[in-house]
Amino acid sequence: MDIANILLVSFDDPTLSEQLASHGYTPVAVPDVPSMLDAKVPFGLVLISQEAVGDAGAEDMERLYFASNGAPIAVYVNEPSAISPGLKRVLDEGTLERVYRHEVENGLATSRIDRMYLSSGLDAAVRAYRQREEDKELLGKELKLRNLVLEHERELGTDITGSITSGLVVLDVSGKIFLINEYARRLLRLSMGEMLGEPYRRVFPEKVSRFVENALKRAAGPWKRHEIKKITVDESVLEVVSYRMNDGAHNATGLLMLINDVTDQENTTAQLFRSEKLATVGTMLSGISHELRNPLSIISARSQMALKKTEWDREWAVKAFESIDTQVNRCAAILNSLLDYTRYKAVQQALHRVDEVLDETLTHVEYRSIFDEIRVERNYQAGLVVFGDRSRFIQIFLNVILNAADAMSGKGVLRLTTSSEETSTVLVEIHDTGCGIGVAAKDRIFDPFFTTKEPGKGAGLGLAVAYKIVQDSGGEIWCSSAPGDTSFFVRLPSGKRKVYDRKTAAG
Amino acid sequence: MIGKLLLVDDEADFLDVLSEFLSGEGCKVSTALNAQEAFLLLSRETFDLLLSDINMPGMKGFELIKEARRLYPALKCALITAYDVRDYLYMAKHYNIGNIITKTTPFNFDEVLLLVNNILSGDVFGLDHYMHGAIRRTMVRGSNDIDGVIQGIVAEMPDLRHKRKFRQALNEIIVNAVYYGAKHERGDSKESWPLEVTLAPEEEILVEWGADDEKVGVAVCDQKGVLTKEEVLFWLERNASKDDNGMSVGLLDEHGKGLFISRETIDRFIVNIKRGEKTEIVMLNYKEGLYDGYRPLWIQEL
Repeated sequence: MDIANILLVSFDDPTLSEQLASHGYTPVAVPDVPSMLDAKVPFGLVLISQEAVGDAGAEDMERLYFASNGAPIAVYVNEPSAISPGLKRVLDEGTLERVYRHEVENGLATSRIDRMYLSSGLDAAVRAYRQREEDKELLGKELKLRNLVLEHERELGTDITGSITSGLVVLDVSGKIFLINEYARRLLRLSMGEMLGEPYRRVFPEKVSRFVENALKRAAGPWKRHEIKKITVDESVLEVVSYRMNDGAHNATGLLMLINDVTDQENTTAQLFRSEKLATVGTMLSGISHELRNPLSIISARSQMALKKTEWDREWAVKAFESIDTQVNRCAAILNSLLDYTRYKAVQQALHRVDEVLDETLTHVEYRSIFDEIRVERNYQAGLVVFGDRSRFIQIFLNVILNAADAMSGKGVLRLTTSSEETSTVLVEIHDTGCGIGVAAKDRIFDPFFTTKEPGKGAGLGLAVAYKIVQDSGGEIWCSSAPGDTSFFVRLPSGKRKVYDRKTAAG
Repeated sequence: MIGKLLLVDDEADFLDVLSEFLSGEGCKVSTALNAQEAFLLLSRETFDLLLSDINMPGMKGFELIKEARRLYPALKCALITAYDVRDYLYMAKHYNIGNIITKTTPFNFDEVLLLVNNILSGDVFGLDHYMHGAIRRTMVRGSNDIDGVIQGIVAEMPDLRHKRKFRQALNEIIVNAVYYGAKHERGDSKESWPLEVTLAPEEEILVEWGADDEKVGVAVCDQKGVLTKEEVLFWLERNASKDDNGMSVGLLDEHGKGLFISRETIDRFIVNIKRGEKTEIVMLNYKEGLYDGYRPLWIQEL
């Protein structure tokens, strides 16, 4: 746009008009600010006298602004020293944004309108105006483009959140829903209604709400990065992970939640642990049938001898029946140990002597040929008790001991040591002289399905099961290993405190 | 039969009743609760037979026998166990032990006594050693006789349990006796065995059979004595051990399976060997429900 028209406001100096005209500008004169609106032609610059501005109140300024219709406004000053206090105030306050300081001070603000000054001053003003018009146009284009990009990004975002097969929810710090994808709605069994901006509590199932409440509370703190929990919603097991969202200064800005359906996974894991349990029962069953064979053959032998005898002397009969009685009780004890084990549903929490539990575990496996050349050393500290479910303790030790026997390939020394580090825990060390665990294997030895055995020799669940039970029992399990010198340590909560608790409770 | 026996078992009760029984049968019996006690007794007097439990605290039965054999080469040795003998076949092969008695329910006193007698006397051949009733005999003079003999035996045993398996085992054993025992055909080239074989008088196979109150029995005896105890243990162990896939190691072997399968399907599978003279295989099947438990290992090489 190239408009050479200059609007002269409240000037009665004809020489100024002439001078402007000689420079190729077309001066259009109006008497005052209100009459600016009457100007019939578009103009590229407003030139206003100092007096007119200096007298102008805020209202007049507004009007001037309005009337300039976006054109730059220049104030004509006779000489710099003559800048009136009114204009100075306007310049200082900067309220009159469109007064070009530059033009006023270096261009128009001279006593004589010098050709050069006037020219440069006006040209600059007009150039600045044109530049701004172009900028505006460019800005408009850019804005349009940006909107396009934004829209595209928004669509992409929706595509992404809609396509992932995980539930995705973003909450702001106050717990209002900022984003929720289709999958999350499906997993959380939510209706299709609009829920952006709704507080989570009004929308989510109760169990999930409780998790979110805690997660939000903790997200407000500085350290906790994420929370994870399995929540059952309508028979589905959902794994909900929440991440605290931060701004650059690590202030919490909200909560991002990922939700996955892990029902199948959970079932498989449960099944695997159950099948491992069955395998343990199988091991014990075959152990028990072996164990029964001994007393049964003694009972059979005793009674056959008795039946063959034609005359019984009392001493002989007492010996024979005592023997039969002892062996029958032994059979009953063997059967009971299996019953104790299989009655795992109702977990029987009780006090157990650690050495007894270890010895019982050994009876389940020692008959196996792999133990034929393994010497078992018992190094028990007297009087140690643990509190918990006996069958589960047996399962822990069974798995670790079988692992040790395998590691020794059936030849070596198995040393069982029990000790008490502090009154609240009991430490069981199961030491073997086997091949040891490689550095790479060490980190993974408690992972399900990790096995160094040849294919078909083991599913690799034994130690994982032991690990899980120890964890569930509030204990710890770890190992240290070198070739020929491997120890598994199991730390279990001691029964001592329980005894004490009971006594004080009773007292 | 009188002999001096040393019984070793950590089950005091078992030692007590078994020694009572064997003493009643005329043996002189001493007992030990572990290997240490056993060696002490062995150092003090001479025994004819050491009969030891396998699974004991401290030194186990196999090592005990190994050491006892080293110290007293004339001592005869056998093991006894309540557990599955199959689990011990590897050890039996390793230590070259042919006799592992099993603790059955009901306890089989007759069998224990028979085995002790067999080991002590070395008088093992002939089905009459294993059966009470009348024994029938026939000779197999060639391959053409085999089917008829088996038919005849099975026909005379109407109460036979697992008839098909018994017949199969019997066939396996007689065929082996004819081709491998009498004719020395190589076991690993069965496809080249001649279909028809006629045996010379000194190659004929003696087959005996009979039944008593508890069992039926068949004995098949050649006149060559080619088979060895080591071979029998080798094949039994090979077929009992499993590979990584749980398949028998000997699954694809051309031969050797017959021995194992027969031992698996027949209640008592007894191998008597007199090297260079004769090999006898005795198969006994008990009536239903008798002597539950594991099958003993019963290989006697004189």
